[in-house]
Amino acid sequence: MLQLFVLLLCGGILVSGVLAVTLKSVLAATVSAGLASLFAAVCYVLLGAPDVAMTEASIGSGLSTLLFLYAIRKTRGSDGDD
Amino acid sequence: MAESILLAAAALVFLGVLLGATRLVLGPTVIDRVAAVDMLTVMSISMISLYALVAGRLIYLDAALVYGVLSFLAVIAVARFLERGL
Repeated sequence: MLQLFVLLLCGGILVSGVLAVTLKSVLAATVSAGLASLFAAVCYVLLGAPDVAMTEASIGSGLSTLLFLYAIRKTRGSDGDD
Repeated sequence: MAESILLAAAALVFLGVLLGATRLVLGPTVIDRVAAVDMLTVMSISMISLYALVAGRLIYLDAALVYGVLSFLAVIAVARFLERGL
């Protein structure tokens, strides 16, 4: 049962990563990258490492999304698309 | 009794994850995807809480707590970004 859940979460990480690479919109790709680290945090909890999951949730899902958005805002040219 | 309630809760969480992932993959606009990510965050928190109950380890609830405190940050950031505020 636990292995099934971990496998499902790993499938979620894979789908999120593929979406982050293939999506045309930069903003949607950023959101998908945050989702990959969200699934990774739940995976860490299921594997018995809640402290690693806390760090992953705060840095991967919160801070890096914020940083990516800030970078997109700073580097967008005149022909930028959402 | 408690066993069947836990099983029903797990089934509901699984259904929620499935629906949220469907909206994330299909979602035509960015706002759909952001809403799907927010829903998947709530589903993850409930999944961690359920697993803390099943495994009998209350330390896992701390991870769910930190996750609940910090999970709104990404959605707020994307919302500010869409409103040209960030």
